[in-house]
Amino acid sequence: MWTWFHRLGSPKWFYEISGRWLPWLTAAMLLFLAVGVVWALLFVPQDYQQGLTNRIMYVHVPVASISLAFFPMMAVAGTVSLVWKMKLADMVVKVAAPLGAWFTALALASGSIWGIDTWGTWWVWDGRLTSLLLQFFLLIGMISLRSALEDGDAAAKACALFSIVGSINVVVIKYSVDWWNTLHQPATNFTADPSQPNGPEIWVPLLLMVIAVYLFFIISVILSTRNEILYRERRAQWVEELVSQS
Amino acid sequence: MVETAAQTSTAQAFLATLKRDLLIAYKRKNDMVNPFMFFLIVATLFPIGISPEPERLSEIAAGVLWISALLASLLAMDNLYRADYEDGSLEQLLLSPHPLYFMVLAKNIAHWLVSGLPVVLVSPLIAYMLSLPEGSFGVLFLTLLLGTPVLSLLGSIGVALTVGLGSRGLILAMITLPMCVPVLIAGTLAVEQTQNGASLMGFLAIEAAMLLAALTLAPLASAAALRISVN
Repeated sequence: MWTWFHRLGSPKWFYEISGRWLPWLTAAMLLFLAVGVVWALLFVPQDYQQGLTNRIMYVHVPVASISLAFFPMMAVAGTVSLVWKMKLADMVVKVAAPLGAWFTALALASGSIWGIDTWGTWWVWDGRLTSLLLQFFLLIGMISLRSALEDGDAAAKACALFSIVGSINVVVIKYSVDWWNTLHQPATNFTADPSQPNGPEIWVPLLLMVIAVYLFFIISVILSTRNEILYRERRAQWVEELVSQS
Repeated sequence: MVETAAQTSTAQAFLATLKRDLLIAYKRKNDMVNPFMFFLIVATLFPIGISPEPERLSEIAAGVLWISALLASLLAMDNLYRADYEDGSLEQLLLSPHPLYFMVLAKNIAHWLVSGLPVVLVSPLIAYMLSLPEGSFGVLFLTLLLGTPVLSLLGSIGVALTVGLGSRGLILAMITLPMCVPVLIAGTLAVEQTQNGASLMGFLAIEAAMLLAALTLAPLASAAALRISVN
């Protein structure tokens, strides 16, 4: 049962298998994205208070959801990299940091566009906004730590350790700033009952968008990891053969 | 000789490391005085930069003291492992048979006694100069007393990760400052809320919980980071 795990130790195996997954993942993402965007932007009824502005939710919620979820994911990859010294896990830690920073920045940007219309300001020192901003700073620190440590092995271990410490810290930061100052609306409970205001015609397109954006994130991670594999294995024979074929 | 070395208990090694670091700090008085002076200077900049009026100062006094203490602690951080890394004694520490956790803890405690405690002790004076309401002096003092060791313990992880780097100052700040935010929040909220009649005990309990969590976990992370940085 552990063979799949041992296979992950081989970047070559991952490069080949992910190459076969990519078309399917991309097709699924495009399908979900097309249905989700059209449904969310054209057919979802307008919010009775926020009007059209509410449609920003269909971008903001998926992006923000990833910016909260990827740090624990990076910490898991970091743990695998520290414990089993798996090269692939370190590559995931490496490529997840800039991607996560982008998603954090996008969540902040889409949130402030929503905020200018509903709260009347681009920025408030609210708990959730502040904790995402601090997470963004931590990620920039992590990226610069990696680029400063030129030695590959030390950089891998240091960033893996930092991803673990950072993910614990992000949780503490989140709760402490929520305690400090909160304006952001809490997460909404969606119901399956069509008569309720948050019924399926609101959340089904949101779910489609969340799946589409998660697929986009996974595809981005896989593509960047494949680049990283090719770069690190550039002296391996299989990479040379691959390059000479193309 | 081998036998006597084997007979050294972990407690003795802990005390020896603590004593050695305190002695080195005593002999290099600049390293000891500079963070303290930096704290005073930063705290002085706020009234000049914002406003000398007592009413406005009293509102920001607690935050100013906390931020100054945080920056002073960050500035002093570099001394924690730097000299030991350069002269090779850090490698000896890693090679010792005793758990690295306690050695790191001893170094962190020595570092706090030298750079953190003076800041805590002088804080009532600066608080007076910044017109902090008199009832809050005790709260500020107690929260700084519980909070500044957490800053040292958290900063130690960042220093341990970056000790081998040439240009480490800014990276250290970028990875350490966001991590220190919860301590800053607890400290400044305690001062603000007790002025509005909240009970002090809850805030002290949170600060003490942070300190205990940092005491148990942070030296483990620092030790792991030192093993990575010193190959």
